[in-house]
Amino acid sequence: MYAKQVVIENETGLHARPASDFISLASKFKSKIFIRNMDEEDSCRANAKSIVMLIAQGLGKGVTAEISAEGEDEKEAVEALTELIKSKFGED
Amino acid sequence: MIYEGTAVSDGAATGRVFQYEPYQPEIRHDTITKAQTKSCLEKYKDVLIQAEEELKRLIESSELEEEEKKIFQAHIDIVQDEEMRREIEEEITDNLLSPEWAIQEVYERYIKIISKAKDALIRERAADLKDVCQRLIRLWNGGHENPLSSLAGDVIVVARDLLPSDTAAMKTEYVKAIVTEVGGYTSHMAILARNYGIPAVLGVADILKNTENGQKIAVDAKDGKVITNLTVDQEKQYQVMREEYLRKISDMRQYLPLVPETLDKTRIDVCLNIGSADKSELELEQYTDGVGLFRTEFLYMSKKALPEEEEQFQVYKKVVTMYGERPVIIRTLDIGGDKKLDYLELPKEDNPFLGLRALRLCFEMKPIFKTQLRALLRAAVYGNLMIMFPMVGSIGDIRFAKQIVEEVKEELKQENIPCRTDVKAGIMIEIPSIALMADIAASEVDFASIGTNDLCQYLMAVDRLNPSVAKYYQSFHPAMFRLIRQIVEAFKKQKKPVSVCGEMGGNPQAAALLAGLGVRKFSMNASSLASVKKMISQMDICKAERMARTVLELSTAVQVEEYIKSELPD
Repeated sequence: MYAKQVVIENETGLHARPASDFISLASKFKSKIFIRNMDEEDSCRANAKSIVMLIAQGLGKGVTAEISAEGEDEKEAVEALTELIKSKFGED
Repeated sequence: MIYEGTAVSDGAATGRVFQYEPYQPEIRHDTITKAQTKSCLEKYKDVLIQAEEELKRLIESSELEEEEKKIFQAHIDIVQDEEMRREIEEEITDNLLSPEWAIQEVYERYIKIISKAKDALIRERAADLKDVCQRLIRLWNGGHENPLSSLAGDVIVVARDLLPSDTAAMKTEYVKAIVTEVGGYTSHMAILARNYGIPAVLGVADILKNTENGQKIAVDAKDGKVITNLTVDQEKQYQVMREEYLRKISDMRQYLPLVPETLDKTRIDVCLNIGSADKSELELEQYTDGVGLFRTEFLYMSKKALPEEEEQFQVYKKVVTMYGERPVIIRTLDIGGDKKLDYLELPKEDNPFLGLRALRLCFEMKPIFKTQLRALLRAAVYGNLMIMFPMVGSIGDIRFAKQIVEEVKEELKQENIPCRTDVKAGIMIEIPSIALMADIAASEVDFASIGTNDLCQYLMAVDRLNPSVAKYYQSFHPAMFRLIRQIVEAFKKQKKPVSVCGEMGGNPQAAALLAGLGVRKFSMNASSLASVKKMISQMDICKAERMARTVLELSTAVQVEEYIKSELPD
């Protein structure tokens, strides 16, 4: 199990195209990957390979998300996905 | 048999009836037996594959704009979603729900969650889930895709009504004519038909009942007639009529490149009215002096949720960039009246045309208005964008609208978002009260545009969609010309430009008269450009002025029409 927190900084947040980019990258890894909205008290971790779960997490701009993974490539997966969020999905 | 309606888009056609009925999903809440689960799961998998194929075909079709393609790409992601799929399969195997019920159950669950999101941008995604859910349920029931998007041969589309969502993916090249049971000259469908040059007769009562699929009929969109049970002679007659019409159109094309100047060298600006800003609408951009009216409500009407700021910004930016130095007048949201948004529940009103519409509605729903103004001010950086407010009734309206623009500028400045602060702001003149106050209004705004459709409706007190009072809707009434003269003079005094962007601007005879009253800028649908340019290039402004003076002294609309006919034969 490997986990890391990251703040969503791009304008549109994690939905629409950025969400598509996110899940297509997540799906490339073998590990189980989860994402959780840390700003919501009662949030549960959600399958980060599911676009609907991702959208349902309500990860708008400014929200802190925790990405965690379990499996053979857990570290690479978490690093790659946090990097993608930090890159602001090429929005500005 | 001959059925009558309102001719809204010129032309004629013969062809086979294609009755269009929008798909209405009907969900049966059935349970299945354990033995059925295996076959249900297989069929469900098959539905997912079909949905994906449909969406891929949609994306590949050239009809769509880039933005729309992105939306359908996101729909594919939703269809493929492993978590949704697992939950739906669980509902089928564990709770023995029929797949259509399971699909609805699981989608509703997430639609509910997403609709509660704090971020408005995320809330809007619920509409995507609804759309995908409908697609899956339709496919489960063996329903076909919107048949208008997969037309493969020439047809005459017959429907009760056609909404923007019905026509968004319509294969217009196969649509020879359109006939509907509701709607009038200025309804959405009419404007669309004129843009595409498709002959259309609207408001034909019971035409669905009186025709059947595949039946051969003729549409005479000059006189507003639909003819069934065609004789051989009639069929020939309407084919000839169609050919003549098409020849006239191609003859007219030679006038497109003309610089619109009268014989005595008065330059008149000829601009384009647009709505969706897609390729077909902007095809003739090079022959115009600008966009005189960008009806932004089409961006709102063809969708399932409010368009986001970014999306609007991209569309506005595209148009102003294309036009460069030439002005692009963008009208802020004009809904209410006959224009409704499915996803925005507005209270039912007894008199919607006199109700909470356009600018009045924007004042009530300030966040929606501000989102649009933000997109406009940002896009203005890329060209000569001007903002125009619809349904202005008082000087107070002007001041309040301008104040909100200032607030938005300030907000953008605070956020360090690039925008233009010297954007020109103008008004539509379509309510008689502001027409009578034109002298004062002219000092408060940078420009004005006369919307003759609504001005006529409000001046003559005639609901322009009510067929039983259609004869009272007289846009050639001397009162119209008297009022327009007053507006034009008032703006001339303040040296502020005033244009005409209603249907009268696209009518060559009316345009000649209005030029005689001093109007120097007309904005119209693409299909009117050639005929108006032809009229301008063949007239003298002196003659137009003399005609205008005569018309102001006439007593009735009939007299005006007869006089124009005698002076300016077709």
